Amino acid sequence: MSDPGERLAAGDRIELRFPARGDLVVLARLVTTAISARAGFDVEELEDLRLAVGELCLLALQGSDAQHGDLRLELTVLGDAVAIDCSLERASASGGVAPSPDEEETARLSEQILTALVDDHGRQSEDGAVRAWLRKRRREHAG
Amino acid sequence: MDQEFHIEERRGAVAPVIAVRGEVDVATAPQLREHLQRVIADGSSTVVLDLLGVTFLDSTALGVVVGAHKRCRELGGELRVVVADPRLVKIFEITGLTGVLTITDSLHAAGVS
Repeated sequence: MSDPGERLAAGDRIELRFPARGDLVVLARLVTTAISARAGFDVEELEDLRLAVGELCLLALQGSDAQHGDLRLELTVLGDAVAIDCSLERASASGGVAPSPDEEETARLSEQILTALVDDHGRQSEDGAVRAWLRKRRREHAG
Repeated sequence: MDQEFHIEERRGAVAPVIAVRGEVDVATAPQLREHLQRVIADGSSTVVLDLLGVTFLDSTALGVVVGAHKRCRELGGELRVVVADPRLVKIFEITGLTGVLTITDSLHAAGVS
């Protein structure tokens, strides 16, 4: 990866881990845009992925006390797609506190954005570990 | 990381104008929420939200906009959102908010001279 123009190949995987703070979600957006550009996505698709990965981080943070946790982002280049996995680690659950109406509205909007921008996405929570993921295929270009 | 984020308030002829610049996301949206809540609490039922200088919006930003829209409606006014960047307009479209909010592509169209 010394050549900034070098294309990434199927199977290449990049990991990023950072403290689960809102002001650092921008790191996920920056890395995703850079990696996806080298995986062959066009400018419009890069914008979609930039927005989608931020929403993915928000999904991973939902319902958790993330003040002491980390967000771990894993990007995998597939043949014609990119898969992004975002997990929240070392954070405690928020103890069943009901989300506020604003949080519910934001979650609904986040879901709509991901549904519109990526081919597949989901979220699962198990034993206190939260994982959100998405997959987006490259558009086929004429010629 | 949000050094470009900036909020400016000015008095328009018919309503206060809140002009935002930079990225509005989970880190900066709370500042926008506080600003809008204060302006509305000060007695403005109609507010112009100028997003012409915004480069990025996420769901938390949209949630703030929707919340302000609801509060303005409850008071008999409206939130007029000014946004022109096609990338941002697309976000309002895919979330169905173009059918809910009053959105214009210029300050003039929002009634700001």
